[in-house]
Amino acid sequence: MSVILSVTRNELRHLVRSRVALTGLILVALLTFAAALTSNAYQADQAGLRERLQHAADQDFAAQPNRHPHRVVHFGHFAIRPASGLAAMDPGVEAYTGNMIFLEGHRQNSANFGDARQSSLLVRFGQLSPALVLQVIVPLLLVFIGAGMIAGERERGTLRQSLLAGISGGALLSGKALALGLAALAIATPAFGLLLWLGASGGARLSAVGLTTLGYVAYLAFWTLLIIAVSATANRSRSALIGLVGAWAFMVVLVPRVAPEAAAALAPLPTRVETDIAVQRDLRSMGDSHNPNDPYFAAFKQKTLKQYGVTRVEDLPVNYRGLLAIEGEKLTSSLFDRYADQAFGAMEAQGRVMDALAVVSPTVAIRRVSMTLAETDLFAYRRFLEQAEAYRYDLVQRLNRLQATAVTAADDAAKSKNAAAEARSRISADHWQAMPHFDPKRPSAADVVSRALPALVALLLWLAAGALFAVHAGRRLNRRAA
Amino acid sequence: MNALLREARFLLGLKSVVAAMVALFALTAVAVSAGLVEVARQEAAIARIGPQQASDVAAITDWVSREKDPGSAAYYTFHATSDPPSDLAFAAIGTRDVSPYVLRVRALGLEAQLYEGEIGNPEAALPGRFDFAFVLVYLAPLFVILLFHDLRSGEREAGRLRALEASVGASSALWGPRLTVRALGLFLVLALPFLVGAFVAGTAPWKVGAVLVVVLAYLAFWIVLCVVVARAARSSLANAMTLAAAWMTLTLIVPAIGHVVINSAIPLRQGMELGQTQRTAVHRAWDIPKAETMDAFFRTHPQWRNTAPLGEAFHWKWYFAFHQVGDELAGGLSRQYRQGVLERAAWSERLGLVTPGVATQLALHRLAATDPAAQIAYQDRIRAFHGELRRFFYPYLFEDRPFGRADFARAPEYRAAPAAGSWPVALLGGVVLMTALVGGVGLVRGRREAS
Repeated sequence: MSVILSVTRNELRHLVRSRVALTGLILVALLTFAAALTSNAYQADQAGLRERLQHAADQDFAAQPNRHPHRVVHFGHFAIRPASGLAAMDPGVEAYTGNMIFLEGHRQNSANFGDARQSSLLVRFGQLSPALVLQVIVPLLLVFIGAGMIAGERERGTLRQSLLAGISGGALLSGKALALGLAALAIATPAFGLLLWLGASGGARLSAVGLTTLGYVAYLAFWTLLIIAVSATANRSRSALIGLVGAWAFMVVLVPRVAPEAAAALAPLPTRVETDIAVQRDLRSMGDSHNPNDPYFAAFKQKTLKQYGVTRVEDLPVNYRGLLAIEGEKLTSSLFDRYADQAFGAMEAQGRVMDALAVVSPTVAIRRVSMTLAETDLFAYRRFLEQAEAYRYDLVQRLNRLQATAVTAADDAAKSKNAAAEARSRISADHWQAMPHFDPKRPSAADVVSRALPALVALLLWLAAGALFAVHAGRRLNRRAA
Repeated sequence: MNALLREARFLLGLKSVVAAMVALFALTAVAVSAGLVEVARQEAAIARIGPQQASDVAAITDWVSREKDPGSAAYYTFHATSDPPSDLAFAAIGTRDVSPYVLRVRALGLEAQLYEGEIGNPEAALPGRFDFAFVLVYLAPLFVILLFHDLRSGEREAGRLRALEASVGASSALWGPRLTVRALGLFLVLALPFLVGAFVAGTAPWKVGAVLVVVLAYLAFWIVLCVVVARAARSSLANAMTLAAAWMTLTLIVPAIGHVVINSAIPLRQGMELGQTQRTAVHRAWDIPKAETMDAFFRTHPQWRNTAPLGEAFHWKWYFAFHQVGDELAGGLSRQYRQGVLERAAWSERLGLVTPGVATQLALHRLAATDPAAQIAYQDRIRAFHGELRRFFYPYLFEDRPFGRADFARAPEYRAAPAAGSWPVALLGGVVLMTALVGGVGLVRGRREAS
């Protein structure tokens, strides 16, 4: 043990003495710090903005004057996605999804104004976040610092001396790995500090903070072991460097970027325009509530008359137009849900394809772990959209029921021709003020953790593979020395 | 010539160098193919929409032409627009994966329709595209570093440097061919897959030439930087570390920080406010006297002032007028939003003047017409088309002309304008300038050391 520690101490002394390596370390540590700081400030700013906008939208909605309820259906409402706990650590898909969605009757809108769309092309490599720094930049820096740790000693001939002096390959390798690992931890400290702070300040769940930390430690430990093992195996530091940069380019860059291509080929998504056209086509075949001769709505009329025991629409105790609106919304919404489910089904199938590539790249696994625990993944976005849709449906149906009960059929029928009837068809603004507010619920901790678990296991398997490789490389060092 | 051939043979004998070249060639080939696949997917989607859209309009024609109500025709008929990829889009997909390239609009308020998002898998968009521009900007410099960091130091560490320099006399005779061969090799592994892609995509020759110039300029920057760093008599690994730090700084850190700074200096909150303003403006019309809306409308459309006055009853022309007035009220925010997107792009270009990676990235996207400016240009074309739609429907609405089957055929049709792309002169100038600057610093330092 003391041998390992003395190797570590020596290596760290080298590291501090080599100005270039130390500068690199300090540079990236500062970058991590800057990323943590700006990301956190941005998220806090966004959280404030979203709260203000949601509040303004709620006020606008409640401030509507006396109106016909159907006007309110079209006035619509806005749902704004609240920030999630660890978004400052890993903003995930937030830049791509947009956070505000317009809710209105007969339509299902998308969330608009995603950041990625309105930003310049500067960050096609990824937004500056602690997650990006830890996943992409730190491994590369470790490669450049560590590639020569053992191969360099071999070139200089000092490796042989150490081994002949009785230091075992395993001890040498462990010592170097420990030094590189400490460097990795030093760079990652600001990010882990942010994690702790987010946990302590109440925004994030402790389970998420703990597992995210575990995931990143495993990821960086894997890279440390891989780098040291390759350095011990290679004959020259240049070969080690080329091999490791190649591995980095493949695992960190190529696989995560090519994965979507493979996924899109296996589970293609329709465009919004195609979906809209298909929805319109299905609606036409389903029936048109505006058309008095439509067979579906003729049957609906018969059913309604029978239910109330009357023979004419005029004799119904409620406003038939309101009932039609309720039925129409039910039909359109089920259609929207079907298409949304299809699209999300395809996206999740794509996600499974991409996740499966964790077999060839630990970066795929850490991305999933980090994003899922930060609640900034597709699942969290879908959850928001579905809750917004449920809210929209409930709101619209409440308004439709008001049309059926609070507006008389005669006024409703005459309102577009007669100003007095139009005035009578307006109901009190108290109704809008009494509508429930949008209050999205976060997924449960258990749900989030169970979604992150497979990728976390994959990550630990990568770590185990790295350890095996390192042990193997250590034994080879001994054999060569002997 | 002989020296070059000798160097080429020497290079081919170095296993790790050959491996690096092959790897970069493979990465470029994958990137070009992925770009071609994506462009083909977008073209197929645009082609698929044509017939679907036609049958949608036919179905609406069927029932509207019974009552011949121009309001229903204008309200229910959507019109397709599209933004087909340019002949160079395969090399630089840009924002085409996060913004729609097909959009349907109708004659109602445009501001509520223009920013509709596309159904895309955000997790698939997150890692970013793997296209030619990406390989060139981010990966190619790493390979330059791998191939050039130990030019001198490698020979020195192997103990051959003095013998080598003595054997050829002038040191330029030794390093000239060596540099040329390696640079040429890198250029070829990048250019060949691109040329195949350009041939498949039918890229205009001037654009192919422009891309090759950009590739050369960018490679030249990194090679000059490597040579300058390699002159300092340090170990190979120290050189590699220095260059890697330069790579991280120039391609990852400066752009990422620039992004944060630009986005916070030019916040685009208009987007969300735009939605709320437009909605409130449109719906207010239901609660105010109709004459108020019509007066506002006639101020911008005096030609309809003397048409039949509105009665008590609902009339479509009032409905469309208040949508138009809503757009006009949101117009200020909309212009600010548009301006903000362009301003962000302009600032990133300024950053490009001192950051070759950014300049190269933007130059390729400018040539491919896949940058935010191109996205705004598409929105402008939609805006113009939407104006045509309004002008087409207004005579029917304001003069109460029946809208029959034949009128549907007369509706304006969106003509997709192929995105032109333009020579990124300033950006290219930035790369050349930075190369000269780094080279100059190297020369000055070299002289100082020699004297």
